[in-house]
Amino acid sequence: MSGFVHGLSYGAVIVTVLMTVTAFSLWFERKLAARMQSRLGPTLVGPAGILQPIADVLKLLQKEDIVPLKADAVLFNLAPPVAVVCAIGVAAAVPFSPTVVAADLDVGVLYVLAIGAVTVLPVFTAGWASNNKLALLGGMRAVAQSVSYEVPLVLAALVPVILAGSMRIGAIVQFQSDHHWFVAWPFFLGIPAFVIFVLAMLAEANRIPFDIPEAESELVAGVTTEYTGMKFALFYMAEYVHTLVASAVASALFLGGWDGGPFRPGLHWMVLKTLFLFAGLYWIRWTLLRFRSDQLMRLCWRYLVPSSIALVATAGVWVVFVG
Amino acid sequence: MRTVQVTRRVDPHVNIDRYDPEAELMLLHFGPQHPSTHGVFRMDLTLDGEIVVKAVPHVGFLHRAVEKLCESLAYVQITPIVDKNDYVAPMTNEQALNMAFEKLLNLEVPRRARWMRSLFAELQRIASHLLWLGTFALDLGGALGGGSTVFIYCFRERELILDLFEEVTGARFHYNTHTIGGNRHDLPAGWSAKVHSALNVIAGRIHEYEEMTLHNKIFVARTKGVGVLDADLALELGVSGPILRASGVDHDLRRDAPFHAYDEVPVRPVTATGGDCFARAQVRLGEIRESIRLVRAMVDNVPVGSINSGKPIKVPVQTKIPPGQAYVAIETPRGELGTYLISDGSQFPYRLKIRPPSLHALSALPYILPGATVSDAVAILGSLDPIMGEVDR
Amino acid sequence: MGVKGHRTVDDTGNFEHPLYKVLFQIPGLTLAATALDHVLTWGMTNALWTFPMATSCCGIEFMASAASRVDIDRMGTIVRASPRQADVMVVAGTITVKMAPRVKKLWDQMPEPKWCIAMGSCAISGDFYRNLYSVVPGVDTFLPVDVYVPGCPPNPEALMHGFLRLQEKVRAMRQGAKVVGDPNPELLRVTKPSNPRLVDADRTAALDEAQVSSAETATDLEVAPPVSVPLEAVPAPFAASNATELDGVLADFGILPAGKQGPPLVPVERHLELARRLKGLGYRQLVSIVATHWLAGKGRGGNEAGEVEHHEVVYLLRTVGPGTRVATWAVRPLAGQPVPSLSEVYAGADWQEREQFDLLGVVFSGHPDLRRLMMAENYTGHPLRRDFAADTAAAPWR
Repeated sequence: MSGFVHGLSYGAVIVTVLMTVTAFSLWFERKLAARMQSRLGPTLVGPAGILQPIADVLKLLQKEDIVPLKADAVLFNLAPPVAVVCAIGVAAAVPFSPTVVAADLDVGVLYVLAIGAVTVLPVFTAGWASNNKLALLGGMRAVAQSVSYEVPLVLAALVPVILAGSMRIGAIVQFQSDHHWFVAWPFFLGIPAFVIFVLAMLAEANRIPFDIPEAESELVAGVTTEYTGMKFALFYMAEYVHTLVASAVASALFLGGWDGGPFRPGLHWMVLKTLFLFAGLYWIRWTLLRFRSDQLMRLCWRYLVPSSIALVATAGVWVVFVG
Repeated sequence: MRTVQVTRRVDPHVNIDRYDPEAELMLLHFGPQHPSTHGVFRMDLTLDGEIVVKAVPHVGFLHRAVEKLCESLAYVQITPIVDKNDYVAPMTNEQALNMAFEKLLNLEVPRRARWMRSLFAELQRIASHLLWLGTFALDLGGALGGGSTVFIYCFRERELILDLFEEVTGARFHYNTHTIGGNRHDLPAGWSAKVHSALNVIAGRIHEYEEMTLHNKIFVARTKGVGVLDADLALELGVSGPILRASGVDHDLRRDAPFHAYDEVPVRPVTATGGDCFARAQVRLGEIRESIRLVRAMVDNVPVGSINSGKPIKVPVQTKIPPGQAYVAIETPRGELGTYLISDGSQFPYRLKIRPPSLHALSALPYILPGATVSDAVAILGSLDPIMGEVDR
Repeated sequence: MGVKGHRTVDDTGNFEHPLYKVLFQIPGLTLAATALDHVLTWGMTNALWTFPMATSCCGIEFMASAASRVDIDRMGTIVRASPRQADVMVVAGTITVKMAPRVKKLWDQMPEPKWCIAMGSCAISGDFYRNLYSVVPGVDTFLPVDVYVPGCPPNPEALMHGFLRLQEKVRAMRQGAKVVGDPNPELLRVTKPSNPRLVDADRTAALDEAQVSSAETATDLEVAPPVSVPLEAVPAPFAASNATELDGVLADFGILPAGKQGPPLVPVERHLELARRLKGLGYRQLVSIVATHWLAGKGRGGNEAGEVEHHEVVYLLRTVGPGTRVATWAVRPLAGQPVPSLSEVYAGADWQEREQFDLLGVVFSGHPDLRRLMMAENYTGHPLRRDFAADTAAAPWR
């Protein structure tokens, strides 16, 4: 019973903090992108425009809620909340510190990957239910992309699992805390696996350069083309939460989680690493152009999958003979 | 990288009913309002999965009846109308139009005015190609990504050139600075120093654009071998300008049929051989460099003298042009912009046909789109640099 | 909109819900509601997402206002490509009769509450295209415009000002006030561009002097060395052509090159043959096809009493490379007489002939797909004919 209360209370805290951080990460991204483009970004709404995301949400709350006449209304309405729930659900198993965790599951890595993989379902549902050709194309692309990139994502996540000998994320972090961060040693396994994990994660979260399901210049707004007001906001939020949580997972699996190296470990390290990774993803986003869908597939199946298989095999050999 | 072999010409009027009945074709109406159609342009794409099987372009959504309007306007009143045709390079519109009037009137334009026209045309070319690069990156990279970064960089530099024009003519665009027999506005004192400082900024930053586009692996992967237009078809379609030069045809009216001051300032046309979107980007970026070179060579050496022949008339609105027909063409950033003028001797043109380069470029779409994906279609359309104002007129 | 059963209308015409009376009894509720309303209004005015209905020149200035100098993102305005997620439609550019139904449809697809900014004189009134057959005289003929931003095109700063005016209007509307009056001069301070214009620091008297004197002394120019043209880049048949050959071909056809009066006239039945010959001579590029409509009594020389109503179709071809030459000829079909289509010789004639058919009614026989190009499929008439009145009623809003 106490475990339930613990999970509930920490879960509530994590979700609240996550939503707040997501809202302000929107502001942060807009400012960062603006500075990268020699603009100013939001300045007039609150000090340095920091209240901009709040104004956006307040505005979206007041917008008319349109369900297209020929859309499948049930699925159309169901998709956005499911997307958010899936994205937040992943956060349940991510330990931010030895204590700040909703549920440090024994199969934490499996859970995270499984729930993360489900996020494509609402996206495809939205594309299908909108009864819009552009949205349908976006949904098709999303499915193809997510199913493909699931493979390197899982294989890359297997590397720390093999090295640490546990699927519990807390144990993986503890192992790194006791030995080395996986990107530091064995770096020839850790760094490639980390890079593959981040790339696959970008593809899962539909971020540039893999944002072809949304692809404004081709598909107008992709799967979200027909969504208005809060439903659109939920999709938008799901994308950011997904990226944020995935950054947290990557920090835990490869960057030592709450371990601070020579300094005292603590929650702040995990938060810092997550935000640092998150900002790095923004940087990629506002620098690169977009792949075409067949190039995306080729990158996945021709390069990422074979190399991640090789990494897993090497990790096994390493554990048996060295570690 | 895909290699596209152009073996036989695509039939643009192919009967889609004869396509594999097992395939589930989808008709995608692309436009007329779409973020990547560069204005109001519509393509009906028949898709097999994501592959385009047939493309039917529809134009005319911005048909503003310019040619009809010109038939009821005095000659000097037409210049501000045609400004709006190619709204990315208004200077060149005015030049092509007024040169046709001057040809039928047998007017000699003063040397200083001709130099100024060349100067404006080259500055306009830089601005126009910068805008093209920005919007092309937007097509490839999306409004919420790296594409918009390139876009905003390009617009930042374009503003510098618009400032220069604003100082001469008082307008950011739609200048109305050319008139029959010369120019209206003389260069202000101290202008050439500003031109130099603006060009130094742009010249110093071109390598940034090349890093973000031509040297960027994703950009190369998205454009190499995409939308290959062979020289033979391009010529038959009347495609001209950078698109034709990207197909390997060394043809530039500035060198081959010099107008303005180009007989005194030789131009080195930029060509490429791929005929694909990448080659078009190469040509346009090379032309920015070439135009910077030309402007730098010209701006300090504009000859002194009158900027207008002072002819023909006391009351400009009552200019009458003797009966006859004339065709004049100049090389704009998009290619050969021609004006076919038929006069019946009155003070209004009897028929004024504007030959827009973009219309001919767009007519290549049904030939080069089949076989491409939807993403490629966006890239191909962007690489043709269509300006719907002059396509539809 | 009819009045629903449980609602009543008060004297001023406002709807009043019966529950209001109960709600107003709750202490403090009105205070809270007012505060909440202020917060919601604040959110609404500060996140005006735009849907750019950018059709022409003003669209370029719209793009410029999103770029770094003016940057409408400063006030939280971002551009959404889908009308479903937008609050403001900025109609930037001329709206034609063919486009107007699409604009209306996109407007209907936007969720309430929504606003419309008419940017530029074409969107406001149709500008000088106002009285023409194909242009809508201002979008307020079919859209409820909230803010007009005049200019041709308006500067990005002017558009930013328009947005700030719209914010004021939204605020006032939410408070039930009517928006009238002059623009707030205070707004002009905010709409100043975030980057200064090119500084004028260079402009000193000495510099002006030097500039003028350098212009006066400039006699010869630093001319770039002539560039040899890589001949292999130009396939041989493109370049091969010369004037005498063209004259020879024309003489073959029994016609002499005409002077300024216009290109030589070729019999309709022989012109396809001429085109093939010229293509073989290196005239590989189709430049243009220009048709003209001559009314009875008008001709090339101006007023010619003996002329009957006829068309004249001029064809222009070009050789490629240095010393490019244009070959021109014309055919002269009488009204309704078909001209053999050039599209089997030059692929580009396809669209050119469609345009001339559309606008002038010249019929081309043997064309694979002779549809209208510019006007809508169901349009009747050929607007560029001389007997077509430009301001003919063409749309329901005239």
